[in-house]
Amino acid sequence: MVEAIAMAHAWEMQADPRVVVIGQDVGANGGVFRATAGLQQRFGETRVQDTPLAEAMIAGMSVGMAAQGLKPVAEIQFMGFIYPALDQIINHMSRMRHRTRGRLSCPVVIRTPHGGGIHAPEHHSESTESLLCHIPGIRVVIPSSPARAYGLLLAAIRDPDPVVFLEPARLYRAVRQEVADDGRALPLDVCFTLREGSDVTIVTWGAMTAEVLRAVAELDEDGVSAEVLDLATLSPIDSATILASVAKTGRLVIVHEAARNVGVGAEIAALVAEHGLYDLQAPILRVAGYDTIMPLFRLEQDYIPSVRRIVDAVQATLAA
Amino acid sequence: MTTFKLPDLGEGLAEAELVAWHVAVGDVVGVDQPMVSVETAKAVVDLPVPFSGVVERLHAGPGDVVPTGAPLIDVTPTVVASPVASPATSPAAGPGAPAGAGRNSVVGKVPSSDEELIETVTYSRPPAAAATRGRAVPVARALAKRLGVDLGAVAGSGPGGLITLDDVLARAQVGATPPAIAKMAAQAQIAPTPLRGPRRAMAQTMTLARDQIALSTVCDDADIEAWGKDGGRAGGYTLRLMRALARACAVEPALNAWYDANENSRLLLAHVDLGVAVDTPGGLIVPVLRNIQAKSSDELRAALVAQKEAAHQRVLTGEDLRDFTLMLSNFGTLAGRYGIPQVVPPAVAILGAGKVRRDAVVVADRVEAHLRMPLSLSFDHRCVTGGEACRFLAAVIADLELAI
Repeated sequence: MVEAIAMAHAWEMQADPRVVVIGQDVGANGGVFRATAGLQQRFGETRVQDTPLAEAMIAGMSVGMAAQGLKPVAEIQFMGFIYPALDQIINHMSRMRHRTRGRLSCPVVIRTPHGGGIHAPEHHSESTESLLCHIPGIRVVIPSSPARAYGLLLAAIRDPDPVVFLEPARLYRAVRQEVADDGRALPLDVCFTLREGSDVTIVTWGAMTAEVLRAVAELDEDGVSAEVLDLATLSPIDSATILASVAKTGRLVIVHEAARNVGVGAEIAALVAEHGLYDLQAPILRVAGYDTIMPLFRLEQDYIPSVRRIVDAVQATLAA
Repeated sequence: MTTFKLPDLGEGLAEAELVAWHVAVGDVVGVDQPMVSVETAKAVVDLPVPFSGVVERLHAGPGDVVPTGAPLIDVTPTVVASPVASPATSPAAGPGAPAGAGRNSVVGKVPSSDEELIETVTYSRPPAAAATRGRAVPVARALAKRLGVDLGAVAGSGPGGLITLDDVLARAQVGATPPAIAKMAAQAQIAPTPLRGPRRAMAQTMTLARDQIALSTVCDDADIEAWGKDGGRAGGYTLRLMRALARACAVEPALNAWYDANENSRLLLAHVDLGVAVDTPGGLIVPVLRNIQAKSSDELRAALVAQKEAAHQRVLTGEDLRDFTLMLSNFGTLAGRYGIPQVVPPAVAILGAGKVRRDAVVVADRVEAHLRMPLSLSFDHRCVTGGEACRFLAAVIADLELAI
């Protein structure tokens, strides 16, 4: 996935001279995970700029660059470091279009690794996407495969409004996938149906797709046909696809790595309760991280929802 | 020249023991190329080359314990071709992802594998699909489960075919096992008689009354010894009961009322329209005598005789049977002392009069034989208090005990 991300950067920098890349270590070092590797050599130090370790500045610089006609793609090294940038993201980036009555938009992409499972120290395994999803004017996107990383990042860069692009760190090198470097974007604001099924709908995103697909393979053996939706754009939510799937299956399990309390799963559950309650045959269940600090790496696998927990939740909705 | 220092290996350890170098002074090295193996307290870890260039110096040798942050290697960067695949080539072939390297980040350990991801993904927005199963309100679904009703067999009567609680209940009754009586009738080769007319109406009314009313009954006797010999002539009891009820309504209006359970409201009524239970061969009929509080004794007698006759002749209209505000059952003309009369909504009370008999009563510490009428007053306790009911009954008795 990390090569697909570098590839998407390179394609769009080649195609659009307004695209610039900024962030700590994105240039000479090629990014903490090598997601911007080779870009500075190819496009020069003007378009690929290393910045100090100062997230508020990275975000603020992006706002200014966007206001002056550039299309910055900024990297925050880990999601746990994005908080100093929230002031710029919430108070300026998200509302530039609103503040200027549409005269200016803010075509910024903030990329940041998301989630745990990479044996990292504290602050490096956060999945706090719901903080950002709560903010009007910010699109929040997360891919779950190299192909979607490529297509959605292109779409995010081309979008005239700000996008926070979360990259599931433990998927960076988890699998290989042939990705055509053809500059084709995938649509934002839609779910991706990873698998069709008839008994239960599972909505998930990012790295949890891996556990979900393993759980679904187990459920297959028990004769349970699960439909898997990759939410992909966490805000705004593609409620049409989710509601249509729930109307078909009558059951919904939501799986996310982030803590349960006020997670994006709660918003999805509320949407289905409001608009799809009469289709439900069982209560909606959420499988989520625990309402604790993300533990250090020795315990992180106990925190991240396991295949077992997902299978159990699906079986519980089927038994309801 | 750039010096690379031993990084914090992400485990909070202060030092590591150098196991082996994979590069030597003078080597031209590229990013991510295996550089050195070090052993921490937990495991042997391979560190990759952090920047491309020529190796100038190794600061430690195998077996040395190197503190975190101490110089490890000096490299002079060289201008080399980008180690990352240009976008024109296959990304999978890029050297940025050495198979199984497992350590491609300054921090932590990013899992890696050569597993090929094959997926079939769709993202077109589906049209609003029609539900393939019955759409049901949740409480109906729960009830269906409890009653063993298959929702697929239930036709929803709500908006858009939504299955409601009533739909499930109706289906549960349709699907119920036929009662044993049907089987017994079949064995005896006699046909059950369907209930018609007043009997059918009674079955429905009483089912409704049983399901809705919070029934409570209070009993007492009226000493009617003072009536003398004329008291018991035809129609006499009923006429006196009607007058007593009309007067009791004036004393305690709460029992001459309609109760609306849905709105949880009651309507206290000024007029008394009395439903009088009439036993006929066709079943129970309850004609209504209007405004009894405003009628003379003769008018009441005439109205009563006319309605009873009409009941027996089955010539009563719907208008004659509708909207009673209070009910009277003079069952004692047949038999029975006390009873538990059933209130019929929306009315809230019914008075039952049992068989008049001579009782031994204590009068001034002496036992005397007096004529007494047993009374049973049922009321809907949702709307009427016990106090109201007892005051009403006391007023009935007080009027009945008058000589005339």
